[in-house]
Amino acid sequence: MTPETTSDTVEENRPPTTMEDPMEQPQAITQTGTERSGSVDPLDQPSVMRTEAMDVFYGEFRAVKEVSMGFAGNEITALIGPSGCGKSTVLRSLNRMNDLIPTARVEGRVLFHDREIYDSDVDPVEVRRRIGMVFQKANPFPKSIYENVAWGARINGFKGKRADLDDLVERALTQAALWDEVKDKLSESGYSLSGGQQQRLCIARALAPSPEVLLMDEPCSALDPIATLRIEELMLKLKERYTIIIVTHNMQQAGRVSDRTAFFTVDVNERGQRTGKLVEFDETDRLFTSPAEKETEDYITGRFG
Amino acid sequence: MTDTRSHFHQELEDLEKTLLGVADRAEQMVKLAVEAFTDGEVPKANDVIARDDEIDQIYLDVHNRWLHLMARQQPMGSDLRMMSVLLHMNTTLERMGDQCVNISKMALATEGLPRVDVISDELREMSDLVRAMIRTGIQAVIRRDADEARLLPAMDEPVDRLNRDMYREVVRSGPDLQRLEWATKAMMVSRALERVGDQVVDIGEQLAFLLTGEMAEFDEEGVIGAGDEPAT
Repeated sequence: MTPETTSDTVEENRPPTTMEDPMEQPQAITQTGTERSGSVDPLDQPSVMRTEAMDVFYGEFRAVKEVSMGFAGNEITALIGPSGCGKSTVLRSLNRMNDLIPTARVEGRVLFHDREIYDSDVDPVEVRRRIGMVFQKANPFPKSIYENVAWGARINGFKGKRADLDDLVERALTQAALWDEVKDKLSESGYSLSGGQQQRLCIARALAPSPEVLLMDEPCSALDPIATLRIEELMLKLKERYTIIIVTHNMQQAGRVSDRTAFFTVDVNERGQRTGKLVEFDETDRLFTSPAEKETEDYITGRFG
Repeated sequence: MTDTRSHFHQELEDLEKTLLGVADRAEQMVKLAVEAFTDGEVPKANDVIARDDEIDQIYLDVHNRWLHLMARQQPMGSDLRMMSVLLHMNTTLERMGDQCVNISKMALATEGLPRVDVISDELREMSDLVRAMIRTGIQAVIRRDADEARLLPAMDEPVDRLNRDMYREVVRSGPDLQRLEWATKAMMVSRALERVGDQVVDIGEQLAFLLTGEMAEFDEEGVIGAGDEPAT
């Protein structure tokens, strides 16, 4: 990325480029991330998304440095690590969510089907339609269950008939494993649902615009164990259609759901500045039984500091 | 370094110490059981059988402690590998105790029969070799020394050879039927010692897995897997 393209907040105000959407034609998915080296295990298959030497800054402060990793299609990738390691920052950089923070700046490359998502001619709204996000705390709108889901489609320019919208809402709610529980009360408020149901409603809302990638930022941390397991089951089902990237504090959760796991940690320099870095990225089976890096081993066995 | 799971790690350490204690007992039991057979000492045979009852108790206790740790702690990384090794070692050591009981039962069954000195000498030699293997295995685990563990297959080789050749001595021990009966039982003692040797090699392989993360059987040079260097 060149310096002149980093003023993302300006791009935010540009009208969507609908005539010739640069994101519309996904290019061939090829694996070119061979420059990755060191401890980071290169992905051994084509990736839907990848970062190359990605740095994320907040003003002068570098929050994350040199993250190079690929996200394989129809897989769940978990990002784990201690607080402040930058895993949420990395996640938010993958769909330009950090654009909303004026001082945030991304350097290096973030590629979606080999297309740089931070290029100046890329519409961030389109990026977020293709790469959806589910947050830590369920955040339904103060509207009906139906409208919560329909909103996702409407802001992405859905202009179809009401019947088509009905189908879309049903499909999204079904995929989010919520349809059977709410089909008879679609006009009730989203707030009338339980915490776990609200989170599945938010997943349905994220699915409504038909994204390819779903980013999940600690989606279960506010839920009880049963609701958590339901979301995890849902994720395993959703990966048949979507590529999922999840940030979780819960290593057991990463172990239960993810195909690959990336372990991040934090370096503290002499001035006390903390910068997150990717330590190890590997198949979850491998990372949780025989990690290659001592920092990973110390973290997963509870020896750190 | 802060250990945020020091309680759990202490329990892992305690389990390991318990099992190394069992290995130590097994080494003593091999000595006693073979002496009971070669010297016709019934009290030693009964002693071994009583000691095996203790090992069986420890086996059950370790199994329960292990299960509780697994259920509560969800170990990962080297802790997870250690858990696997501990479970495996527990079973292996319990069976080692059983082999000593088998030897002791042979001693009880041959009480008063005439013995064959050549065979007794060979069984004592096997006992010495196997006990040296057990001590080497214990040391390798304590020192976390994979190279030391890789010595075990070579140490096991003469044990296997003595066991293979034992039938010749049995054939030569005739024609006296009572001598032949004792010698036939001696072959079963030899077989039991050969099994104990294999079990020690097995523990060595478990240690190598703990240290390397690769699970494979040692070949005769103590090499595991394709890319590993042989022990020198």
